Amino acid sequence: MTTIEHEVLDLNNPAPELPPSSSLTARGVSAWFGDHKVLERVNLDMPAGEVTALIGPSGCGKSTFLRILNRMHELVPSATLSGTIALDGDDIYRGDIPVTEMRRRIGMVFQKPNPFPAMTVSENVIAGLKLSGVKATKSDRRDLVESCLQRAGLWNEVKNRLGAAGGALSGGQQQRLCIARALAVKPSVLLMDEPCSALDPTSTRRIEETIAEIAHEVTIVIVTHNMQQAHRVSNTAAFFLAGEGEPGHIVESGDTETLFTNPADPRTLDYVNGRFG
Amino acid sequence: MQVIDPSIALEGTTPIEEERVRPVTRRTGADRAFRLTTFGAGTLTLVLMGVIGLFLLVRSWSAISAAGLSFFTTSAWQPDGGAFGIAAVLLGTFLIAFVALGFAVPLAAGGALFITDYAPSKIKTPLVWLVDLLAAVPSLIYGLWGRAYLQPKIIPISEWISTHLGFIPFLKAKPGAGFAASTFIAGVVVALMVLPICTAVMREVFSQAPAGEKEGALALGGTRWGVVRDVVLPFGRGGMVGASMLGLGRALGETIAVTLIISPTFDITRLTHPLETGGNSIASLIALRFSESSSFGISALMAAGLALFVITLLVNAVASLVVSRSRSGASTEI
Ligand SMILES: Nc1ncnc2c1ncn2[C@@H]1O[C@H](COP(=O)(O)OP(=O)(O)O)[C@@H](O)[C@H]1O
Ligand SMILES: [Mg+2]
Repeated sequence: MTTIEHEVLDLNNPAPELPPSSSLTARGVSAWFGDHKVLERVNLDMPAGEVTALIGPSGCGKSTFLRILNRMHELVPSATLSGTIALDGDDIYRGDIPVTEMRRRIGMVFQKPNPFPAMTVSENVIAGLKLSGVKATKSDRRDLVESCLQRAGLWNEVKNRLGAAGGALSGGQQQRLCIARALAVKPSVLLMDEPCSALDPTSTRRIEETIAEIAHEVTIVIVTHNMQQAHRVSNTAAFFLAGEGEPGHIVESGDTETLFTNPADPRTLDYVNGRFG
Repeated sequence: MQVIDPSIALEGTTPIEEERVRPVTRRTGADRAFRLTTFGAGTLTLVLMGVIGLFLLVRSWSAISAAGLSFFTTSAWQPDGGAFGIAAVLLGTFLIAFVALGFAVPLAAGGALFITDYAPSKIKTPLVWLVDLLAAVPSLIYGLWGRAYLQPKIIPISEWISTHLGFIPFLKAKPGAGFAASTFIAGVVVALMVLPICTAVMREVFSQAPAGEKEGALALGGTRWGVVRDVVLPFGRGGMVGASMLGLGRALGETIAVTLIISPTFDITRLTHPLETGGNSIASLIALRFSESSSFGISALMAAGLALFVITLLVNAVASLVVSRSRSGASTEI
């Protein structure tokens, strides 16, 4: 009896402050919009606690792949897919975990910063708690706002205007606010779709620093068109390519350093050196 | 760095005058015709409004000058007996409109949200079409249907409200009072008539809620309701106020349906008990009295019409101001 109770208690109170980051595995993932196939049997391992970069020319399906990873793909009415995505070995599409809980565990930062303009900076950070119905005391919320803004590298810039509207920040600050907002629901994976493409070089650098700081506690998958950025921030990389009128697929993937300096496929070498795309 | 002043660039010569031009785009014939037509149509509308206002003012002048300010404070309507004013009918008009909005606004908001954020895309178009069809039903039909079909169904509800919520003074009915032909029933019928316009405007506003913010909310683990609460409703607030005021403008002027349902009263106490028999409105007063009035009586009715005209004009102006000022279209700026 006592042992069982003990076990139940352990399950209900996983002690660590931050959830351990998780691995994501894609197996045979294809995707369609209507009859238009845009991804062809993609296999990719995104290891826990590492940064995986997705690179490749426009239109080859990187965003589609990313949105399949947290079940945003299905929001497009005509969208379908096949294959499996596993979070720490559990299928995210066929398991018992509801889609809202899945999206909470696998957070996302978008290309265009999208803070909630009617909410203040603090309210934006804790918006995810309210959205997923998590109750928290006032002091818990205050601590969460501070720690998430710290981790997103924004605290020093906004600590004196936590009550300002989220839309009143600069583009780079808005994007870091979105990162803080995503971190506040304690995801174990964070997906980023060209998070710096709308930003100036200084803001881009701040976000890269942020990625480096949070990488050990949350698995990151980032789409980027900036080769230097992919090289700088990632441990693993995958090169996507779509032939004329064909769905996108992964040409090669693996260790970032190898992919950039000594790739197996000549097309990868051409792409990372800016010779096509 | 050396600054070159153009006027002394050529030493010893007279300063050269720069040739300044403002490039003009020459209008084509079609362009000019289109401009003229739209300008003409716009002006015509304004002129028409002015003419109507002026007409009402001129025709009502003898009554207005006879009644003076008492026109706004008298509740009886006996122009030929010398005592007439819009206190009661104006109150009745607003009471019917408020009852109507009380039902129409929540229904319209719910319906519009269902159409934009919940309904599967297959039934969206039929739903929009169905709601718009409500607007095509003539108000006379609403009035007849409301009186013959709806009224017997509403009376028990009125009774129930009066007994169970009677602790709120204006909902308590006098012993023996009837519940037919009341402000409440007229309001319910008018609600159905303003529902389409309110729903259409709200649907339009809600459908413009920024997709990026909605996806942001979903990506945080939000439910559909969470998205509506945190993105769609804050975005659509101004539009909802505007839609309600457009509905108010309609409700204030509704004539035939109200005339068919209410039993006219000028008694303020009865008017302020909306569940009880008896209501009134400016429009139904005019409709009922016009054919049997003396020329002075008609002048008095014109004055009441002028008041309604000014009020609906103001309400609609404020409504369109609110709709255009609302955040529709503006999402997060970078
Ligand atoms: N919502 C959509 N509906 C239809 N087709 C889409 C949609 N989104 C993307 N696509 C198509 O899917 C393909 C891959 O797009 P995307 O994943 O955005 O590529 P990337 O992010 O690599 O530029 C493109 O051909 C694009 O036109
Ligand atoms: Mg993309």
